[in-house]
Amino acid sequence: MLWIHQLRKEYKPGEPANDGISLQVRPGQVLGLLGHNGAGKTTLINQVVGLLRPTAGEITLDGHDLVANPAQARRSCALMPQAHAPLDGVTPRQAVETIGRIRGAPRARARERTSELLAELGIEEWADTIGERLSGGVRRLAAFAMAAVRPGHVVMLDEPTNDVDPVRRRLLWGQVRVLAEAGYAVLLVTHNVAEAERSVDRLAIMDRGRIVAKGTPAELRERAVGELRLELLASDAASIAPKIPTAGPTQRTGRRYLMPITGATAPEALAWALRLREAGTIDEFSITPTSLEDVYVGLIASTGENGNGDGANDPRGSGVVAA
Amino acid sequence: MAWWLRSYALLFRWALLRLRFVVPLMVLIQIVLSVGIVVGFAFLIPGVDEDPVAAQYLSTGAMAIALIAVCMAFAPSMVSQQKTQGIFDFQRSLPVPRSATLVADATTWVLVALPGLAAGMLAATLRFDLELRVSPLALPAVLLVALTCVSIGYAIAYLVPPMAAQMTTNLVLFFALMFSPINFPEERLPEWLASLHDVLPLTYMAQAIRDTLAVPAEGVSGLPFAVLGLWCLAGLATTQWVMSRRG
Repeated sequence: MLWIHQLRKEYKPGEPANDGISLQVRPGQVLGLLGHNGAGKTTLINQVVGLLRPTAGEITLDGHDLVANPAQARRSCALMPQAHAPLDGVTPRQAVETIGRIRGAPRARARERTSELLAELGIEEWADTIGERLSGGVRRLAAFAMAAVRPGHVVMLDEPTNDVDPVRRRLLWGQVRVLAEAGYAVLLVTHNVAEAERSVDRLAIMDRGRIVAKGTPAELRERAVGELRLELLASDAASIAPKIPTAGPTQRTGRRYLMPITGATAPEALAWALRLREAGTIDEFSITPTSLEDVYVGLIASTGENGNGDGANDPRGSGVVAA
Repeated sequence: MAWWLRSYALLFRWALLRLRFVVPLMVLIQIVLSVGIVVGFAFLIPGVDEDPVAAQYLSTGAMAIALIAVCMAFAPSMVSQQKTQGIFDFQRSLPVPRSATLVADATTWVLVALPGLAAGMLAATLRFDLELRVSPLALPAVLLVALTCVSIGYAIAYLVPPMAAQMTTNLVLFFALMFSPINFPEERLPEWLASLHDVLPLTYMAQAIRDTLAVPAEGVSGLPFAVLGLWCLAGLATTQWVMSRRG
């Protein structure tokens, strides 16, 4: 089990990039690390893989101290970095196979696993194309394969789905689950809350170097105010005040209004919204279940000045009622 | 040891794979450079054909410059490029001994430098009526010069931010070409610059190659080998330290 306890990292004295971080990732588990840019996620994984030395705190893997032994950290943890993987001049097949062998796989096994991964990720077509001619998404998937070809015990993925098309994103998330099922502990950094919600076992939300919430996606969603959201798109700039009992304050972004409501008040909200549309006050509306993204933005906003409600107003969950 | 050798072999293959499209261009530039020094610099020196010492300096100096260009300018600029692209950290996260990475890279660069050396030598024998007396120490000398250049070049590239590193290594190449007793005897330099070269490795690189390709009457001096050995160790230690350093 990867065990992180009270981890602190200061690049400059008194300005922690990570502050009192405690986490556990078990074999077979996918832990999603959510947070805005600069929240300290990459700093955290760079300490686990031994590229950075913690200012204080412990990181152990199955009881072995990874801070004292960075060589073991590198053997045990495969990293897919946020930056581009080294694919210039090499094809995805060459890169994945070579990294597999460097990470200890015998030649035949590395070759077999490479073919398997490239096929599963849907990039066989570009398997023998050199890096310079690949799109950002294919490079990203190849970088994922370079981390997944021969992981030690832990796989760390930093923003794995950036630039990847929606179809192959699903394939990638599928492979993340395959890694977990094979018994690896997966630590995954992402901005994509909606996708993470479906693919991770547990989530930790980071803000300004600290963990502000952790739990399963269901546990985190329970922290939301009201289980539904009524979204209105006003037809003009005039202000709309809620004429129904809401479960929390209304958030407004331009012409869009987002009101937390409970299941009990949903029929009333629906009737009100229909009246507003009939009167021409709004162009459209929707009632959707509260998404994890709402919870995430709410948490970040409540702990500092980072959240401004923008982005919270785009719940793309399965709509209960949509107009 | 088996793990070290396995890592070395795989990293060497990895380095060759990634460089294979740039290598032809580098080799070409380097051939042009070393042949250019032999042919072009001869125009600068009046009566070079009647001056065997000048001809000898130019011919062996061209080889030293070829090694310096590849190992102290091209190689570090590739490291700086890796740093800019963020690949450097990926390489550092691989489960291999740091020293294997460095030796694999050094091997690659020495191989890249060899065609230029051969071309320089060929151009020199065609251009001048050279009397070469090659010592068995010639190959160790070339390898030591190359390794010293790589270790210093890498130390600069690892320590200094990418843009500054690129400029520094270009400056080193320019300094080696114009202001170092590589292509001409040390006596022509002002005293202060000559004494500076007594501690810098450039003079000794040229001397190690010159002495082993055209062995002087008094035999091959051990001093260049000793000084280069020290510079090489200092460069390797710095590189190893930067590679293993955790911020």
